[in-house]
Amino acid sequence: MNCSDIEILLAEYVEGTLQGGAKSAVTIHLAACAGCRELAEDAASAVEFMARTAPVEAPPELLTRILFQAPAVKPTLARRLFGRVLGDWLEPVLQPKLAMGMGVAALSFFMLRPGVRQLTLSDLDPVKVWTSAENRASRVWERGLKSYENLRLVYDIETRVDQWREEAPTEARDPEKTPESGKP
Amino acid sequence: MAAIAAVAQVTTPGQTAAWAGERRRTVLDQDLQLIERCLGGEEAAWEDLVKIHTRRVYAICYRFTSSEQEAQDLTQEVFLRVFRSLKSFRAGEGSFTVWLGRLSRNLLIDHYRRSKMQRSTDSIEEQLPTIEETQAMSARTDGMLAGREASETLQGALKKLSPELRETVILRDLEELEYREIAQVLNVPEGTVKSRLNRGRAELARVLRKQKVAI
Repeated sequence: MNCSDIEILLAEYVEGTLQGGAKSAVTIHLAACAGCRELAEDAASAVEFMARTAPVEAPPELLTRILFQAPAVKPTLARRLFGRVLGDWLEPVLQPKLAMGMGVAALSFFMLRPGVRQLTLSDLDPVKVWTSAENRASRVWERGLKSYENLRLVYDIETRVDQWREEAPTEARDPEKTPESGKP
Repeated sequence: MAAIAAVAQVTTPGQTAAWAGERRRTVLDQDLQLIERCLGGEEAAWEDLVKIHTRRVYAICYRFTSSEQEAQDLTQEVFLRVFRSLKSFRAGEGSFTVWLGRLSRNLLIDHYRRSKMQRSTDSIEEQLPTIEETQAMSARTDGMLAGREASETLQGALKKLSPELRETVILRDLEELEYREIAQVLNVPEGTVKSRLNRGRAELARVLRKQKVAI
């Protein structure tokens, strides 16, 4: 065995886990080779020193930090709905991105269906776009105003009806009250 | 040779290997069950998984960076990545420990590259505390160190190793991963792991001796 072969075996030799013929071969080589012997002695000293060191302990607050940052692995929607095996298969289909993509595609097809007017370049003319937006805004404003007026009218009517209702029983009671009031 | 004999006496190969193998199998099964429960949405399982592996991830990060704050941030980042990519873990492609180790290692290497660029632009005033710390450390290393003090001295020495040697020594001697697992984490052959380990250990002994530490 040459020095390169010994170097591979030396790690286990200094740990005391090398056995049999390999161990004897290393022992014989070390007795004859000063370079490898020095390497083995240094390595063994380091191993011995490291065995005397105290283990590193993680600070207790670290656990809380980790659990706070990454609270738990939630099961996916697919797993919750369809169980583990089927859920794993269907998971890509139920991804929000895919669902949104499908929705947009469906909307596009709906817009392109026959009967709906196709967009033309002239539709993108800024003057046209502005006029259309202005028309729409004024229509919305007028509609809002009209709704407000209607609401006022409805409120007036309701108030008047309530008044009439309150007055009606009073008038109905009045004839009864009159003879009583006429009593001696 | 005395040191080699001393180390060899400490371990009893057959029993230790059998016991370690049994323990690893149990941990492996436990990890797989926890991951399965995590993916099923059990919050308690995720907590257990984090509790079991936080110490090791933090220790690797701390040994590599020598900074408690950086180690905490990196550990947090590792678990955030685990959280996001737990679904991509495949039990057939290696143990969870290996997967986690690889994830931590990639993050540490990225961090090392970033901080290396930062260090090269640091002025001597910013580096001064580190130099003073090293001098103070070498002034109190006459006797045989052990425990926390030895741990601090080791930390100073590990910083002097190249990242390749450092990570190998940390994974094997401090975190006790198997050679096969280290090879998977570092994505190199087992022979390379053993060779790096020898060089790392020897280099570490030389650094400690330079700091007048009795080893």
